[in-house]
Amino acid sequence: MRVIRLLLVDDESRYVETLSKRLTARGLYVEGVHSGKEAIAVLESRPFDVVLLDVRMPGMDGIATLREIKKIQPLVQVVLLSGNASINAAIEGMRLGAMDYLLKPADLEDVLAKVEEAFEKKGAEEARSREEKGARGR
Amino acid sequence: MGLLSFGKGILFGKRWRPIEAHRDTRAHLTLNYLTFKDLITSNDEVLEIISDLEEKLQGETYFGMTYIRFRCVTAATHTYRMIANLNKLSGRRFQELPVTFSTVQKAIEEVLEKSRRRASPEGPWVLDLSEVDASMHDRVGGKSANLGEIRNRVKLPVPDGFAITTDAFRQFLEANQLTEEIRSRLVNVDLDDLDSLREASEAVKEQFQAGFVPPEVERAILAAYRRLCDTLGRSARVSVRSSAVGEDGDISFAGQYSSLLNVDRDHLLAAYKEVLAGLYTPRAIFYRSVHGIPDEDIPMGVACIAMVDAAASGVACSVNPNRPDSGTLVINGAWGLGVGTVGGSVSPDFWEVSKDADMPLVEARLGTKETSVEPLDEGGIGPVALAPAVGGAYCLTERQVRDLAYIVVAAEKHYGRPQEMEWALDKLGRFTILQCRPLRLSRFSEDSSRLPPAEIEGHRLLLTGASASNGVASGPVFRLNGIEDLAFVPDGSVVVARHSSPQIVKVMGRVAAIVTDVGATTGHMASLAREFGVPAVLDTREATTRLEAGQVVTVDASRGAVYDGRIESIVAEKPAQPKRSMKGTPVHQVLVEVCRHIVPLHLTDPRSPDFRQGACRTFHDMVRFVHEKAFEEMFRMSDRVSDADYRSVRLRERLPFELYLIDIGGGLNSPPGRSEISPGDLRSEPMRALLSGMSDPRLRWWEPKGISLAGFLSVATESLFTPTHDTAERRLGDKSYAIVAESYCNFSSRIGYHFTAVDAFCSDMLNRNYVSFRFKGGAADDLRRAKRCELIGEILRRLDFQIERGGDLINARLRKFPKETILDRLGQLGRLVVATRQLDMRMGPSAAVGWYADAFFEGNFLFEPQSPPRTAPETAP
Repeated sequence: MRVIRLLLVDDESRYVETLSKRLTARGLYVEGVHSGKEAIAVLESRPFDVVLLDVRMPGMDGIATLREIKKIQPLVQVVLLSGNASINAAIEGMRLGAMDYLLKPADLEDVLAKVEEAFEKKGAEEARSREEKGARGR
Repeated sequence: MGLLSFGKGILFGKRWRPIEAHRDTRAHLTLNYLTFKDLITSNDEVLEIISDLEEKLQGETYFGMTYIRFRCVTAATHTYRMIANLNKLSGRRFQELPVTFSTVQKAIEEVLEKSRRRASPEGPWVLDLSEVDASMHDRVGGKSANLGEIRNRVKLPVPDGFAITTDAFRQFLEANQLTEEIRSRLVNVDLDDLDSLREASEAVKEQFQAGFVPPEVERAILAAYRRLCDTLGRSARVSVRSSAVGEDGDISFAGQYSSLLNVDRDHLLAAYKEVLAGLYTPRAIFYRSVHGIPDEDIPMGVACIAMVDAAASGVACSVNPNRPDSGTLVINGAWGLGVGTVGGSVSPDFWEVSKDADMPLVEARLGTKETSVEPLDEGGIGPVALAPAVGGAYCLTERQVRDLAYIVVAAEKHYGRPQEMEWALDKLGRFTILQCRPLRLSRFSEDSSRLPPAEIEGHRLLLTGASASNGVASGPVFRLNGIEDLAFVPDGSVVVARHSSPQIVKVMGRVAAIVTDVGATTGHMASLAREFGVPAVLDTREATTRLEAGQVVTVDASRGAVYDGRIESIVAEKPAQPKRSMKGTPVHQVLVEVCRHIVPLHLTDPRSPDFRQGACRTFHDMVRFVHEKAFEEMFRMSDRVSDADYRSVRLRERLPFELYLIDIGGGLNSPPGRSEISPGDLRSEPMRALLSGMSDPRLRWWEPKGISLAGFLSVATESLFTPTHDTAERRLGDKSYAIVAESYCNFSSRIGYHFTAVDAFCSDMLNRNYVSFRFKGGAADDLRRAKRCELIGEILRRLDFQIERGGDLINARLRKFPKETILDRLGQLGRLVVATRQLDMRMGPSAAVGWYADAFFEGNFLFEPQSPPRTAPETAP
């Protein structure tokens, strides 16, 4: 199986760094950015499998970022992260196509399990989209 | 084929929609499987939250708004995910559900929003410790709440003092307009650069020092201090310590915030501000950022406690953290104030005490204590050198160790979970407790709160299991073999059953306790047991084999233990009135209100006409509905595939039908391009188990067999079809499909006139394991169908399945069993699938179901009468 490409988006730079280190140590390819704008820029230039996205960020918040992400890379799986429990934000995020919503502080094993699940799902969705294209082409 | 397609059409009561060609591709099946797995995970999560909420509703454990908000969000997220996933599985057939969900979601949000508005700071700013208990966690923070709880409710020795509330802190922030100020100071901190971190921390602390304590708060603090002096009869010195919300609770901030000791009146307000500023020490800022916790979510309370003139002090744990099963508690201590032991700067004395009746000392180790920490006259504290004769002696006598041990055990018993305490011994030889909080036992990540089962002298520990509903009770064992036995359960008995069943609710009002071999503490029965206050121990594995009918046992559910005989000492401990400390508090009220939209279950019977999406009123209803419908969707999955669109491979094996396999991930070892594989190429464990049953040579399905004339006529007239050998030939053309992955199989088949489907997941993760089985008969007359269903039901019941029957449709489920059991049951299902073929012809309307079930388990799959038959079957060849 190829390495999971993960983009971590959180305005808390220390959080991004610690989590990046720990996930890298577990065999993931991780890039970290600190704002929605940066996340968009990175996703426009290269593909990722999973995005871990903080909901509350100054400027462009997680929900607005999610909307943009789904335009750029529709198949990328987005897992929302938030320290502030808001049902509205969670459900809005899920409606916009986020795969799940994790509350901080999240256990590393939970994050990892969620990322792997997201990766598996992305693989299946890509395969389906290929087959659908094939079917239409026939 | 006319019959078959007719059968398909009526199977689920409505005609099937034609499926768009591209939708059922192999990738689509994989997605369905992942979607279903997701859905089941979410289902378990929501049920777990519901059972946790129900426990909290009892009001016996404390919780705050953060807890409620987190649980609501998680429950909402998972419920939403389940609905979205069901719609993915079903081709969006459940359009009403998202609408219902939104209504419920809004109702919950309204409750939470209302509580947020209510929470603008309004005082009281200070509470006397004598008025505080654990239910006030949100208002005074963890440290004060726990101290008040053990002081006022357990009557343990705690010094006098007062709690400055979290409202006072928020008043302080608002009066000084600090919130935005702090945010702007912290936003540009490079947390990696210690200097930058220190600088920001200093800047924020300066803001705190420069700020003023609002006059109304200042007045309240000084008044409380004066009352304290009056009580003590002298000018008091106090310890001023942080008491943050969450600090001693769900999120551990142990040791993160500051404490100031030996503070007098003149320094009290400055000390208060300093402790508040302790939220912004470099290490606290760092801790919160690496855990991603927003600053504004930490309301800060402060505990002001009269200083104890301590001869010795230290820490005690009610369970040995290194050996939680040892049944001992541990204490350490040193001369003077506790700072040394808590912070770990001297090597303290150590005692390990057994928690048996008279608390014998198990071990004592002398520390090396060269200094002691003492209060200084000018305020503050400092180290003082000890004379070698003092430093070299134990700081507690054996008698004192035992006295302290009783205090520790009392606190643990009160909270029902292991505790960690700071203690001090004053110069008159009296103990006081300075802090009490839950002890974290890292070894048990999930069950850290549970007390380990203890040996009780003179009584054998018979069984241990998972506690579903706390309490202690004793009574004679009643073995519940089936639901029909419920009517015979005597009052006051201990009901022992193979698995948990919500049906047991019928006797919950009058039984002493419930013990089962298997069952989840998050299940429906468990939550009913909690509601009725009936102690219940589940998942003991062997209750039905170890416990004799009539045997008197004592069930201590808090410890998940069952003992032989009646143990007066612990049965008597059961509180007559549960402590309902949280009930009536505003936080509990909020919980009650949100739970109204989450917890109640109205959709209990899938066969009822009210079991429909529009009838869902709570998250629980939606989850139950979605769960049911998702299984139905999965039963259809392998039945509606045809090999046109898949790279399916044929299995080379002698079966009464042709079996085609579709691999969606690690299910087969199949080199590309092969159109046939042998059973050895199967990697899917559940499929292999199922297949091993279906290909059991004892089934002898290929042999011609005698049939009863009545049975023959019945089949012939109902189906206008010629049975026996002719049918067997036709079978050869039948195709069955199985969708397989490494730990998963989804199989369906029409053998004879029967439709059977099996959907199973099986791995080392016990909680995810399940087998679901569906059977729908056809042909034969109503009486025979009913008989056949009764038999299949009986066989499944003996295999531990939970069964639902309606007409000649059977739904059976088995969940959360270990892998070996799941594989064994799949083998049995394989045999059952093939063996039921024989039944129509053989079973008369008055056949003895028990005899046939016995025959099945004896391997007599042709149901031939044995000699001599125990009960003659109605028909003989």
